Amino acid sequence: MSASTTTIGSGVGGWFGFLGSTLGSYPGRYRKALKEHRGKSIGLTLLFLAIVTYPVIGHYVISNISRTVVPLPYPDDTVSTFMMIFAIMAIGLNVVVGFAGLLDLGYVAFYAIGAYCAAFLASPHFGALGINLTFLGNVGPGAAGIHLPYWIIAVVAIIVVATFGALLGAPTLRLRGDYLAIVTLGFGEIVPLFFKNLSSVTFSLSLGPINIQLQNANWTGGVQGINPIDPPFLPILGWIFDARSGPMAVYLGLFLLAIAILVARNLELSRIGRAWGAIREDETAAEMMGVNTVRTKLLAFALGASFAGVAGSFQASYLGASTSDFFDFSISILVLIMVILGGVGNIWGAVAGAFVLTYVDKTLLPYIGQRIGDIAPSLPNPAEYNFLIYGIILVIMMRFRPQGFLPSRQREAELSVHGLEEADLAMGIEAPELDNVSVAPPGQEETGGDARTPEVPGEARDL
Amino acid sequence: MDQLLQVLIIGLANGLIFALVALGYTLVYGIIELINFAHGDVFMLGSMLAFFLVAPTTNGGWAIFPISVDTPLPLLIAQILAILAICMTVMAVINTTIERVAYRPLRHAPKVAPLISAIGMSYVLQNIGLVWGGAYQRTIDSPFPNTYLLEPLGITAIAITPSQVFVGAVTIPLLIALSWFVSRTRQGKAMRATAQDPDTAGLMGVDVNRTIAITFLIGGGLAGAAGVAQMLYNNYTVYTLGFRFGLNSFTAAVLGGIGNLQGAVLGALIIGEVNALSDRYLSPNWTQAIVFGVLIAILVFRPTGLLGQQLADRA
Repeated sequence: MSASTTTIGSGVGGWFGFLGSTLGSYPGRYRKALKEHRGKSIGLTLLFLAIVTYPVIGHYVISNISRTVVPLPYPDDTVSTFMMIFAIMAIGLNVVVGFAGLLDLGYVAFYAIGAYCAAFLASPHFGALGINLTFLGNVGPGAAGIHLPYWIIAVVAIIVVATFGALLGAPTLRLRGDYLAIVTLGFGEIVPLFFKNLSSVTFSLSLGPINIQLQNANWTGGVQGINPIDPPFLPILGWIFDARSGPMAVYLGLFLLAIAILVARNLELSRIGRAWGAIREDETAAEMMGVNTVRTKLLAFALGASFAGVAGSFQASYLGASTSDFFDFSISILVLIMVILGGVGNIWGAVAGAFVLTYVDKTLLPYIGQRIGDIAPSLPNPAEYNFLIYGIILVIMMRFRPQGFLPSRQREAELSVHGLEEADLAMGIEAPELDNVSVAPPGQEETGGDARTPEVPGEARDL
Repeated sequence: MDQLLQVLIIGLANGLIFALVALGYTLVYGIIELINFAHGDVFMLGSMLAFFLVAPTTNGGWAIFPISVDTPLPLLIAQILAILAICMTVMAVINTTIERVAYRPLRHAPKVAPLISAIGMSYVLQNIGLVWGGAYQRTIDSPFPNTYLLEPLGITAIAITPSQVFVGAVTIPLLIALSWFVSRTRQGKAMRATAQDPDTAGLMGVDVNRTIAITFLIGGGLAGAAGVAQMLYNNYTVYTLGFRFGLNSFTAAVLGGIGNLQGAVLGALIIGEVNALSDRYLSPNWTQAIVFGVLIAILVFRPTGLLGQQLADRA
């Protein structure tokens, strides 16, 4: 167990290391990218500007167009904020599933832990247990309970959730494939159960000087959850940035999402990102080549989970409440569908999948349901059967387009190589033919200097 | 002490129902190494169908087999057999169709693809249950009298009810029949061969696709029977039942050693008892967490289960 504790330490420390290096190396990287791919960079910049100006343009221009020209409903600020939250989650799950190839069906656990971090640290909840602490909060001094500003909570949530990611990841290290999926699913069910059930804890411990007596202590709020939670705020020159509602919350979400994308992008291109790729392709071969699989997998769990910590804490602060029933298995699956729809392994695919699916789930389906209800009230409301639609999507995607709509180039290449292997086996041709197949497609070099992946499958076969 | 015995009997009856579902998981995993996520929902549909067959029209059912406490015994048995036959057949067909639609096309895809497809299928079935049965719990009155069978013999310490006898009478013959089928028949031999090595089995003349389809057929039939037992013993069903029940059964299959038939039954009986004991002596709120804890502990410390063979590569 000592090995895993040190790796947990390096997991959390590594996270800040990556954050630092991310922010440090970005300007240089951006200049280089701009030089090499001018067209693409300009496109991305325009896209970014469009998104940033969205609340202004969206409210006054697009919402009018959506009512008159395009007959699609326009996502309101709440839905837009949830788009950002789910996009951050999808990026994080993409780190675990896409980069490292570890199928995690219990991702909601980290989302819940993140949300309860915010609930514990920015609400009157613990006042009932006699714990009062206010620090830089937007409530007056002397208020009951703990009140910390959101920015501190976000950092705390990252650390706590990354630690839990490593802790829950540690027992799964020996498992592969579907067994891993089931264990993560189990954790995903147990963690919300703890939040649900720890609402009346009776506990007594007296060991010498330590004397703890708890009588029906309400730790987690049980089914009712915890509310109210302080909204995220940022006092700048007397102006209070209140992200409880309106476009401000969307901006804050965008800001967090931008950081998430940056961090994930740099993780992918870093040494650890290449190690994840190697493990995903062939764990045994990766270990032979000197990849520390224990450390690498724990880092994948911890770093992937920390994104959910940010998303969860932001969600709880934004909604002002955190209830245990919200965090069920379907959230894990919803985020997984976002990643799969977009293209496993592709950050932008995950973001696009999250945007589209959140929009469909929270705006389009209720809208269609309303329309159907207007015309024929007896017909079923599609918003109530959303998971029927998602289930069908999953089955059809696995059947016809398992790489997703925006697959990462590398994944696409792998899938076609696997296809070749199958074809060869079916024809009775032996594997050596494979050595002539280029694993990286011609376009691979475009992704930048660091992105070139070791040609693991082809090389390993020569051994 | 009396109370403990009583709890153990309740656990045994539920464990037998778990066993029927767990066998479906273990058969499928044994043969194509897929966690058939949708299996619990097939069980749920089975219980839903049983509800509609039995429940009176005032309760929203079809009242095709309106069995109740007043039904004379021969008629009761005949009707239960008819319900079993219908539910087992329908669920067997549904399970085979799922295999054909969602899993067979992915036979050679990476291993997580069929798993994700199975999760999708699980949601599809769950929503069919939602459309069909509504978002609330469907209940019937128990068709069995609440008498204690051992009382006339002078044993009052252990209370066995007719409904518990019914569960045993449905499940135990099915378990024996399955065991006989897999170990003694030609088709059972084909199943065992395919489980060991599908490619070699194919070369030896086994029709692999047909064997896999038959495996799903059997699994679906067992799930249908379990659904009937659930409806007539526990007297309730709801569209989300499959997920919870399925995970309990899957845990049972893993506990016994996945791929191992006797192991699945043993695991199911243990999980049934764990459920009953935790419900009674701890709190129903924690039962699910305990079952998952058991599942995680087995997978981590003994992935081969209690009776499983060496499957180091799979775990």
